[in-house]
Amino acid sequence: MERIYQGTSAARAIQQLRQAKGYYITNTARDLSQSDFKNRILLHTDLLAAEARDRAGYYSLEITGGASVHVDMMRKQVNPFKKLKLLRERMPNTMFQTLCRGVNLFGYRPYPQNVIRFTVQEFAKYVDVWRTFDFLNHVPNMQAVLEEVALAGKINEPCICFSTGPEHTNEFYLKKVQEIIDVTGTDIVLCIKNHGGLGSPRRIGELVDAIKQRFADLVIHYHGHNTDGNDVGRIVEAVINGATIVDAADSAFTGFYGPPPILTVIHALKEYDKVAIGIDEEAVIETSNILGDQRKYYDQFESQIKGFQPTVQIHKLPGGAMGSSLEQASKGGFLAKMPEILHKELPRVQKELGNFWSVTPGSQILWTTAVANVQGGERYGNPSGDLKNLLLGKYGPFPFYQPEEWIYEKVLGENWRQVLEEEGGLEDIPDMDLAEERANLHEKLGREPNREELVLYLQHPKDAIDFIKFSEEYGMTHVLPPSIFFKQGGFEIGETLYFTDTAGKEHIVEIGPSPTVDTGETAVYLTVDHYPRVYNFAPLETAGTNGKKVVLTKEEIMDLAMAGDVRAGFAGNLVEISVKEGQEVKKGDRVAVMEAMKMQTPVTCEIDGIVTAISAKSGQAMQTGDKILKIDQDI
Amino acid sequence: MEICQPFLVFLQQHLREAVKKKILVANRGEIAIRLIRAIQELDCTAVAVYEKPDERSRHIRLADEAVLLGNGPRCDYLNIRKIIAAAKHTGADAIHPGYGFLAENPGFAKACEEEGIIFIGPSSKVIADLGNKVVARQIMADAGIPMVPGTKNLPHGEEGLQNAIEFGRKYGYPVMLKATSGGGGRGIRRIDTEDQLVNEIPVARAEAKAAFNDDSVYLEKVVLEPKHVEVQIIADKTGKTLHLGTRDCSIQRRNQKLIELAPSRVANPELLEEICQTAVKAAKAANYFNAGTVEFLIDKDLNYYFMEINTRIQVEHTVTEMVTGIDIVRNQIKLAFGYELSFGQEDVQIRGHAIEMRINAEDPKNNFMPEGGKKVSVYRSTGGFGVRLDGFVYQGYEIPEVYDSLLVKLTVHGFTWDETVGRVKRCLKNFAIVGPKTTIPFYLRIVDDPDFIKGDFNTSYLDTHPHLFHYEESIGEAGKLAKFIAEIHHRGENPFAS
Repeated sequence: MERIYQGTSAARAIQQLRQAKGYYITNTARDLSQSDFKNRILLHTDLLAAEARDRAGYYSLEITGGASVHVDMMRKQVNPFKKLKLLRERMPNTMFQTLCRGVNLFGYRPYPQNVIRFTVQEFAKYVDVWRTFDFLNHVPNMQAVLEEVALAGKINEPCICFSTGPEHTNEFYLKKVQEIIDVTGTDIVLCIKNHGGLGSPRRIGELVDAIKQRFADLVIHYHGHNTDGNDVGRIVEAVINGATIVDAADSAFTGFYGPPPILTVIHALKEYDKVAIGIDEEAVIETSNILGDQRKYYDQFESQIKGFQPTVQIHKLPGGAMGSSLEQASKGGFLAKMPEILHKELPRVQKELGNFWSVTPGSQILWTTAVANVQGGERYGNPSGDLKNLLLGKYGPFPFYQPEEWIYEKVLGENWRQVLEEEGGLEDIPDMDLAEERANLHEKLGREPNREELVLYLQHPKDAIDFIKFSEEYGMTHVLPPSIFFKQGGFEIGETLYFTDTAGKEHIVEIGPSPTVDTGETAVYLTVDHYPRVYNFAPLETAGTNGKKVVLTKEEIMDLAMAGDVRAGFAGNLVEISVKEGQEVKKGDRVAVMEAMKMQTPVTCEIDGIVTAISAKSGQAMQTGDKILKIDQDI
Repeated sequence: MEICQPFLVFLQQHLREAVKKKILVANRGEIAIRLIRAIQELDCTAVAVYEKPDERSRHIRLADEAVLLGNGPRCDYLNIRKIIAAAKHTGADAIHPGYGFLAENPGFAKACEEEGIIFIGPSSKVIADLGNKVVARQIMADAGIPMVPGTKNLPHGEEGLQNAIEFGRKYGYPVMLKATSGGGGRGIRRIDTEDQLVNEIPVARAEAKAAFNDDSVYLEKVVLEPKHVEVQIIADKTGKTLHLGTRDCSIQRRNQKLIELAPSRVANPELLEEICQTAVKAAKAANYFNAGTVEFLIDKDLNYYFMEINTRIQVEHTVTEMVTGIDIVRNQIKLAFGYELSFGQEDVQIRGHAIEMRINAEDPKNNFMPEGGKKVSVYRSTGGFGVRLDGFVYQGYEIPEVYDSLLVKLTVHGFTWDETVGRVKRCLKNFAIVGPKTTIPFYLRIVDDPDFIKGDFNTSYLDTHPHLFHYEESIGEAGKLAKFIAEIHHRGENPFAS
């Protein structure tokens, strides 16, 4: 049996998969980065590993999609397309795989059909395998992506999202598989997407078996997370029962919420005479040897809480959201409340909201609601816009049952029946005028954008522009190693830094002194390739986008809130101002909604009073401590 | 004894060449350094002068002695009395005026002559004659040098009108209608049609009468989109007058040259030879002595017209030095001290091509606005085969606002034109100047322009190639990344990653 090389046609690849005597492995590098390192593993690190990974003989390298498209631009300052191009140069043999959220693409809300198709067309130039899912398993939400992938001649890998509970029966999932096949035919790879790492090995084995019994022809790809420490068990059962491809990751970087180590999977399955097709074990080991040295630079992005989370079977948070949830709890100062949120409130909310699949954007809705329920006092008292949309059916129908009426009433108000009647149902999003969007982008960049820049802009307008402007000012920063990119506390004077540019030439930067001059500016002296340079920086206090930037502590922000001065508690986008000037508010009322990464968090007021001034606009990017609005107690 | 013979010849030659004098350099900037170098190579002593705003200038440090003239700005470099006094005070035998300031002031040359100080340049009389347009034109006309066609003063009445119409029909429009007593751009109007001509003559006369109390006017042909080609000449006191070939200085902004090359790219060697001979004839007609430049315009049909003679060393003399191997400044000094030219016309061989680019602290995108007052925080220059730099800035130098914006002249020499263009492009890329904006990114567009590469340009080049102004200011990829590193260092974290 042979590995499947990049360049093999989709039809030929699926033929080969059907005849496989053994199983294939997908190196799930992107999901590992997202689950255990807040998506921060740099292209620089992936490029170091590229050559060995290419030799290792994986079915595919899952390296783009999910939240990574956004984080690539926003936090790693790398063009998601350029990343794929550079990796392809060093990995000519391995297929690249993405994770696409159906109508939500790589974002958190539904996109217009023409944007979906244009985006898939552009990414399909680099991506061979398209894993597509919908968090409600609502197949029509995947249709546009499935069609475009087929048109591009790439491998379609639609998912059934998996979860547990009385409704999650084999019958239900078989019905979903049939719905998918009705759209795509059987020349696909079917993914069982176990993003939470839920269920026992035996449960997964049964499900795979049931599908194979009904659809003998169907190639099954099992995707799981190791959050409870037992995904290897599930993988083994999946393969024994007929799954052809499984997900795992390089051991040098494996953590607690992502996929399990590749080599462990290989060793376990050897006991059952299952051969990892195409795999060069030496290259697998070599990859981790190369990566081993790099992990230390990513310390700051690993989870605040160490250890497996077997309680995932209770709270069901997907591996990809574990890290960011814990980070939010830590930054928001409610880490101590996590047991209550995770083990009591979240399961309760899940059940109340219909026991759908806890994966983007559904997992964010469940999480945000649970946090608000615990933090805000009154349950469902501060519903997010996304929760409203869920109840209105904007994402699709509830798969099993609808929430109880009192929840509708809490979220949509007293006349919720009328609201549901008038606004309910799947949103019909009109197509965007792409020529007009291109013209807008042209104006913002001051030059003609290329197709890829337009795609990025359509996904995340503000962040794409910020990123493009960043690259014009600072160049291709992806050539910098994590030891520079993530450096904390500045460098030592006299320290010599090295980096290799895109052409393969090494550059040398020596750190000189950084005196502050009369004007208050700091002059940073560097020797760059043997020639001195000086870079001047304005004083830090006056830097920042919102005028004078004062870095406030959590306590200071809380104190201000107690005085009616409502500030942003963390850096993020202001999604909504929920009140108007002159409006009367009560302690605990939601006055605004902030969004960081993909989490929406309601901002509540700490006092009763009247809104006297609104200093921010919805859609605005906020820094920690930026003013949102003011409430006066005695008017 | 046989060993001693060559040594003796060397010694005699050396003694013959050694001037052993003290020479005052009455200038600043790059040309002051150029002169000091030639002076010191002749084993003479160089005296610099400077104004207060120039006290950090490098020419002071390179000279053997230096005299502060005063607080300036500019007025002390133009003060004949002060400069003569400085020369007397230091015991200078001679003064080299460079270009600009007092270089073409006949009064300065005359003052030197009267004080017994050798003025390195032509006599005050020659400077005076050639500096006066009317006199210069007359000398050249008498010598049969081709001039831009023009009428004599137009007679009054119908006869004058008829002469004017005939002239217009013969040479075509546009023509310039000029007031004979006008000057400095006043009393000149462009005429595009015969009707306009008929209407404008009386108006121009009335205006000239009012302005200059002289209503005489005349017509001159307009040379459209000419090439600016000039000939370097050099003459000793015996009247031996040689040319050192042509230069093209067509690439200009607001009549100020930016890029010069030697020899001219006009693909007609016979014509260029004829122009050189004409230049020698013109110089002889003016009794020219020392180094000078005869400027011509060449029109589209390859007609050439005398423009003027510059009685000084030119900024762009370097290109001629590169292609001939002859040190013009050295020869100027020696000629001034009475030496005769030690070579003949047959020794002047033009080898290859040279291009000079004036790297100015200016913003080409902002109408070449000078960037004076800024500090040169990074200065990295270039080197290698066929490369010459004449500059005076250094890292940390603050460019005074009160002087011109020329930082450094990049001159390269190559065996073929393509090699020369490739070399100048490479050198421009080697430069790193941070602080003031410079003309470098603009020149980098020019060296990629097909018309420049073909040598197809005239004085309208910048106006007809506006796309050249669409360039990016860049500190280079490594510079950008270093800036990012500086940011991470300064903030103690990567502000974009958190």
